[in-house]
Amino acid sequence: MRFLVAYLRSPPAMIGLVLLLVVIGMALSADWFYPRDPLSLAGRPLIWPGANPRFLLGTDNSGRDIAAQIFHGARVSLLIGVVATSIAIALGIVIGALAGYHGGWVDDVLMRVTEAFQTLPNFLLLLVFVAVFGSDIVTVTIAIGAVSWPAPARLTRAEFLTLRNREFVQACRTIGMGDGRIIFREILPNALPPVIVYASVIMAVAILLESALAFLRLSDPNVASWGNLIGLGRDVLRVQWYVSAIPGVAILVTVLAVSLVGQGLNDALNPRLRKR
Amino acid sequence: MNLSRRAMLSTSAALASSVAFPELSFAQEQPRRGGVMTVHFATEQRILNPSLQASTGVYIVGGKIQEPLVDLDAAGNPAPCLAESWESSADGKTITFKLRQGVTWHDGKPFTSADVQFTAMEMWKKILNYGTALQLFLEAVDTPDPHTAVFRYARPMPMNLILRAMPDLGYVSARHIYEGSDIRQNPANTAPMGTGPFRFVQYERGQFIIAERNPNYWRNNLPYLDRVVWRVVGDRSAAAAQMEAGQILFSPYSALAIADFQRLGRDPRFDVTTKGNEGNARTNTLEFNFRNPVLADIRVRRAIAHALDVPFFIENFLGDFAKKGTGPIPSVSTDYYPGPDTPQYAFDRRRANALLDEAGHRRGAGGVRFTLRLHPAPWGEDIALWSTFIQQSLQEVGIRVEVVRLDAAGFLRTVYNDWNFDLATGWHQYRNDPAVSTTVWYRSGQPKGAPWTNQWGWTDAQTDQIIDAAQTELDPAKRKALYGDFVRRVNDQIPLWMPIEQIFVSVFNRRLRNYANNPRWASSSWHDLWLAS
Repeated sequence: MRFLVAYLRSPPAMIGLVLLLVVIGMALSADWFYPRDPLSLAGRPLIWPGANPRFLLGTDNSGRDIAAQIFHGARVSLLIGVVATSIAIALGIVIGALAGYHGGWVDDVLMRVTEAFQTLPNFLLLLVFVAVFGSDIVTVTIAIGAVSWPAPARLTRAEFLTLRNREFVQACRTIGMGDGRIIFREILPNALPPVIVYASVIMAVAILLESALAFLRLSDPNVASWGNLIGLGRDVLRVQWYVSAIPGVAILVTVLAVSLVGQGLNDALNPRLRKR
Repeated sequence: MNLSRRAMLSTSAALASSVAFPELSFAQEQPRRGGVMTVHFATEQRILNPSLQASTGVYIVGGKIQEPLVDLDAAGNPAPCLAESWESSADGKTITFKLRQGVTWHDGKPFTSADVQFTAMEMWKKILNYGTALQLFLEAVDTPDPHTAVFRYARPMPMNLILRAMPDLGYVSARHIYEGSDIRQNPANTAPMGTGPFRFVQYERGQFIIAERNPNYWRNNLPYLDRVVWRVVGDRSAAAAQMEAGQILFSPYSALAIADFQRLGRDPRFDVTTKGNEGNARTNTLEFNFRNPVLADIRVRRAIAHALDVPFFIENFLGDFAKKGTGPIPSVSTDYYPGPDTPQYAFDRRRANALLDEAGHRRGAGGVRFTLRLHPAPWGEDIALWSTFIQQSLQEVGIRVEVVRLDAAGFLRTVYNDWNFDLATGWHQYRNDPAVSTTVWYRSGQPKGAPWTNQWGWTDAQTDQIIDAAQTELDPAKRKALYGDFVRRVNDQIPLWMPIEQIFVSVFNRRLRNYANNPRWASSSWHDLWLAS
């Protein structure tokens, strides 16, 4: 309860929450406002926003309704964000927990692997994944998750290192609890808060990664994603700049919202800040 | 010059004369020597040797370095190049080329009839796309002396066909570079060596290609330019910006965004034109893979053609740069165009739905009958727009389309070599005579992997027969009639569909002189091109 109060008192965190709810609302209401396939031909191409009341945000160079794509794109972006983040966090926690809990050679091996991943810029790694496995939306999402796990792994490992020799863990060992149970039932709940906060960073980055891929025209062209719209608008950037600018603003708002919420969670969960 | 132009621009009357003046002064201007020509190079190529691959992406580079036996003059008529004269025997089975003397390769060795013999037998007949069909009945090339090449054919070869074909399919490679090697893997394929006005210097993948002036060129004192640099710019907006900054002087083959053609066309610094591309009409294709049993059904292919509202697409997406096509031979081909009264597929969604129902493809969950993959070629904005339009249109009749985007090499391999596609779309380029560029899209027996040929798994004895008869018919009127039969047959069977006709758009910086002075200028050698200061 105290956590909730602390969160609600912070204006940036509230702004983030409201923006995020708006984006989620767009994703949920997409089918209601725009029941047609957002990729279907809606009218003449390149109608300016406001020029035709049927198309509030205009049409892109393939004659598709930009507003419909923004609403349906919210779904795609959030879905990619959530799924990729879940994959990254799950992988990161398992690897970090094993490394931190066991130490020794297990730690050495897992951390060398993690470092190997960390030395590669994750966007380049993502490009390699997409080049090898293709660019449908499932592959792209899994690939984004697969390149984002090293940071949560290191974070989890650090938490486990500080927790594994605490009295309550030793007590568990004394009464003969198994390693699995100690890791997941006893230590993990205590190590989780910073990882949860970090998840918001991963989610923001995941949305940006998909947009960057789509900007390079390497994402799945068969879904209405914001990045695809930006990539398409590149051809007409000099004159019909709105085709790229509108989804750009949508991405900006979403990433900002997720980051603010993450920051708010961090502040609210941090016991030292809470006392101030 | 700058000052006076600025002064002149102040009144609109002067504006008109500032456009007219340069035209006048062209005739009197002394060609200036030196300077670097910079060219927009939009798609990376695996081969730069035009004896091995006939495509605009190859000619734009290789056409300056290597030369054909016969070229086109300003009016589009055959003109001597490496061959000085030619004659045909009465039965059309023997064609003799007298070769130019005193021509040397860039490495100093003399150019002789042995080079022509080797290129014709080993490259044109065996590897070159379009060439394999054109030279199907070539039996041997005799070389009675170093400057005479005698082509012997099993069936008559019409003289006007071979002369129309030579500018594109008559590029000669050096025998001493290729003999005894694996031709397809020879390093000269990406570092071409020829007799042309420019010598290859360097190809830096993804960045640039450089060629420099050939000081020993057989046309005395030519070329004017010091260098040609092709800049690899894949992004259309970036290429337009480089045109405006003067970093690129020429963007060929409709490689910029359609919106940018319109914008640059209003800018007095540029000439946006279809001039110089008259010999390069193209049609947008829709290619079907017959290995997919759904598409092997003629009702499905016809339904797909009926589902596309082509006039709407042209009017709203392509504007002035396109018109409705009526099949494989475009209307600009005055010699062979059979007229519009061939089987056509007007936009008719109800008919499309009926045909699909009749073929047994009922709508399932979500109104979807079946799903197809569509591979668009990665060149030209119109192809991207057209593939999206196909996707949108077919959705309306219950066919779900997944667009699969690949780079140039991946597209050519997947579609024409691995046959791993359902639908594909790209450009068919018409090169003056159907037997040069067009019938290979339909004739069976094309070598596997040859791009822009019949790789659909479609065989039709009647079509093959018409194509073979037309290719060896010496009477021009009878040839035209045979190509009419050809268009009627393939439009009816619809193994692929060509519903849009376009001529390439070029963007020139107006500092260039002697540009667009022949019907295949972007592909030609540029020996007389120069740059005003």
